[in-house]
Amino acid sequence: MNEFQRGRIGAINLHVLPTKVFKTFAISLYAGIPLAENTVTPVALTPFVLRRGTASTPETIAFREKLDDLYGAGFGFDVYKRGDAQIVQFRMDVINDQFVSASQPLLAEALTFLGDVVSKPLLEEGTFRSSYVESEKETLRNRLQAIVNDKIRYSAERCVEEMCKNEPYRLQALGRLDDIAGISPEALYQNYSAWLDHAAFDLYVAGDTTLEEVAELAGKAFKLKPRQPGAYGAPDKGYSIKETNYVVEEMDVNQGKLNMGLRTGITYGDDAYAAMLMYNGILGGYPHSKLFRNVREKESLAYYASSRLDGHKGICAIQSGIEFQNYEKALEIITEQLASMSKGELSDLEMNQTKAMIMGHLREIQDSAYEMIAYDFNGVLSGNLRTRDELMAQIAAIKPEDVAEVGKHVRLETVYFLRNRKEA
Amino acid sequence: MEKLNYPQVQETLYREVMDNGLEVIVLPKEGFNKTYATFSTRYGSIDNHFAVGQGEPVKVPDGIAHFLEHKMFEEPEGDIFATFASQGASANAFTSFDRTVYLYSASEQVYENLSTLIDFVQNPYFTDENVNKEKGIIEQEINMYRDNADWRVYFGLIESLYKMHPLRIDIAGTAESIWQINKETLYSCYHTFYHPSNMLLFVVGGVQPDEVFRLVRDNQSAKSFPGQGEIRRIFDEEPEEVQAPRKVIQLSVSQPKCMFGFKEPKTGYTGDKLLRHEIATKLMMEALLGPSSALYQGLYEQKLISDSFGHEYNSASDYGFSAMGGDTPDPDRLLTDIEAAIKKAKESGITNEAFQRAKRKKIGGYLRMLNSPEAIAGEFTRYRFRESDMFRVLTHYEECSLEEVNKRLREHFNFDRLAVCIVEKPSE
Repeated sequence: MNEFQRGRIGAINLHVLPTKVFKTFAISLYAGIPLAENTVTPVALTPFVLRRGTASTPETIAFREKLDDLYGAGFGFDVYKRGDAQIVQFRMDVINDQFVSASQPLLAEALTFLGDVVSKPLLEEGTFRSSYVESEKETLRNRLQAIVNDKIRYSAERCVEEMCKNEPYRLQALGRLDDIAGISPEALYQNYSAWLDHAAFDLYVAGDTTLEEVAELAGKAFKLKPRQPGAYGAPDKGYSIKETNYVVEEMDVNQGKLNMGLRTGITYGDDAYAAMLMYNGILGGYPHSKLFRNVREKESLAYYASSRLDGHKGICAIQSGIEFQNYEKALEIITEQLASMSKGELSDLEMNQTKAMIMGHLREIQDSAYEMIAYDFNGVLSGNLRTRDELMAQIAAIKPEDVAEVGKHVRLETVYFLRNRKEA
Repeated sequence: MEKLNYPQVQETLYREVMDNGLEVIVLPKEGFNKTYATFSTRYGSIDNHFAVGQGEPVKVPDGIAHFLEHKMFEEPEGDIFATFASQGASANAFTSFDRTVYLYSASEQVYENLSTLIDFVQNPYFTDENVNKEKGIIEQEINMYRDNADWRVYFGLIESLYKMHPLRIDIAGTAESIWQINKETLYSCYHTFYHPSNMLLFVVGGVQPDEVFRLVRDNQSAKSFPGQGEIRRIFDEEPEEVQAPRKVIQLSVSQPKCMFGFKEPKTGYTGDKLLRHEIATKLMMEALLGPSSALYQGLYEQKLISDSFGHEYNSASDYGFSAMGGDTPDPDRLLTDIEAAIKKAKESGITNEAFQRAKRKKIGGYLRMLNSPEAIAGEFTRYRFRESDMFRVLTHYEECSLEEVNKRLREHFNFDRLAVCIVEKPSE
């Protein structure tokens, strides 16, 4: 099996996976800093502005044309939170030259492009171009406002916000609406410079290449001050409250959304992580899980009823879409499932099915360059570079009592229900 | 076993048609761990009026193909998800306008999983009780989509474009129509559309073609299927004009969503001709409306569109329509500006530079798609059901000329056949 080769150029940690399986080079650059109230919004805005133009290609049309010319190179970014970090991820995906008659090596072109975007932005009188900043502020504002358009996502985020109201994790990865208006091009540029000087940078490349080649190309492509690479701290995974907090919100909706936030006290870097994965899988990760079987199949209450593990923060989140009047019934059934988990009511069948599903997923990661990268980055982020083989061996060894033990520490902290407006 | 080489994309396909008419395609992917298989029938939401052989035409309730998809997962011994889970496979299914697809992905027990897939789809088990139980679940699925603004604006547009064509029917049906469905109607649709000769099995990943064919051959020869006459799909005549030029839906959204599209007369094309038609149209739309076009950047600068703005083109022998749009603060200004820009473009034509760039972008996107077994299986089946070959896409992109693309530009944008759908929040 191929392994990531590791190196470093200045502030950037390099992780290169040489492989001939794919028709492309997959490139990911992760840049993370601690999630904090005063920086969350400018950091979120930064990649939006960076993708408008660079010092070498100032105009957005030319910038986009350049991507098309690189055989429709995929280019995108995401801003999200992992643990207590706010991470900006840039992705590029270019095809391997052998399939087309490219005049320039596409990997070199792509890394140059990415280096320009991140470290050689367009500057006018020493700061970002103000028209770009203004128009991207609008884009960011629309994105934040649009979260409510997707009720499944909105209710999930509201549940976490309530649950973590005393922690930085309550913040949206895209920042705070009220901060946007006050961000000037100068302030944004200042924040960007500090971000460039302090963020933890991890550059991943998977494709038909070598660590040496990537090191040489990236060394030329990125312009960063020489420094030690940044690193990620351990997340706060403590319990925040003693009694479950019930929140009901009303809106013009056709379906009720029931979300429940569980604090597990276990995160990706912990030894108990494998048992936690099993807990989530048996509870609600799959169509054979307790939630799907009991809420959907047995009672026909919902189309979806599942749980999802946020492994870097140690939160297990349950979500379901139900009729408004079925709130109590659904809550009762889900609470029963939680109780049966912590009592260790786990059949061999549930154990075996869940193990088989988790193992299957871990094996399949190998067929996608981005999934290989994402898995490896989980290890970098948590400070525990557990290989997939190690995790599979741990999963295989999990016994029902291990899952029940995890269940005893799981606490239901928040119940959030989005419903229609009650008649006045 | 037939072997088809596609040296340009370095892929080899293997194909065999079983005695009962089932077509099986295998694409071995060296170095891949997982296997992804889809078992698809040419049966979707638009197949609501049909006749078999010399039989009388039947009309069935809206949403029945999707209902059938849900019910196939139930077997006398229980839920088939449990069997897949025990074998480490993730299974799923979906229903679209013209097909229903059952699928799994697995990295172990690949052949057991393949047998499970074939067997459960070929073993319907409907009872009054299990059919009724499903209605509550599907009602919640319908309610979920009713709150989804992107879904509402897209299907709202299709409803505005078409008067008669069943494209306008909601794939899941309505809360009312699903209550008309019972086990008899399900069995009748099942026997019509799930005959092996109406189906395609596609297997991609770390597999040996001859082993797959042997397994399917043995599996199929142990089952018997009565011979079946040809399926005739009945579509009422669709007028040229749109159903409604403008439709507004109210939903709690932060900003209006606006999608608009142009309806074309039915293409009458299938196979390679349809593929070329689609590719020329997509190149045209990319050059005209893609993120690197002057039109897109101009609208973005004026804050009339966001990066949610997109475009697509769909066609089959009996329909053809475009859909474009996204979030906008001002749907009317957006439409006025776009109309002016398109009319101008129709006169000047697309430049060779923009055309070549769109071509490179599309070729790159196509090759990147070939990394994904899921996308290959999905696209291959979609094209195959239109008698086209997905592996010919690259050739068509390369061969397509600027003249063809400009011809499509002038044909497609007929403002008499424009429909608009807007989702906006209710006024206070």
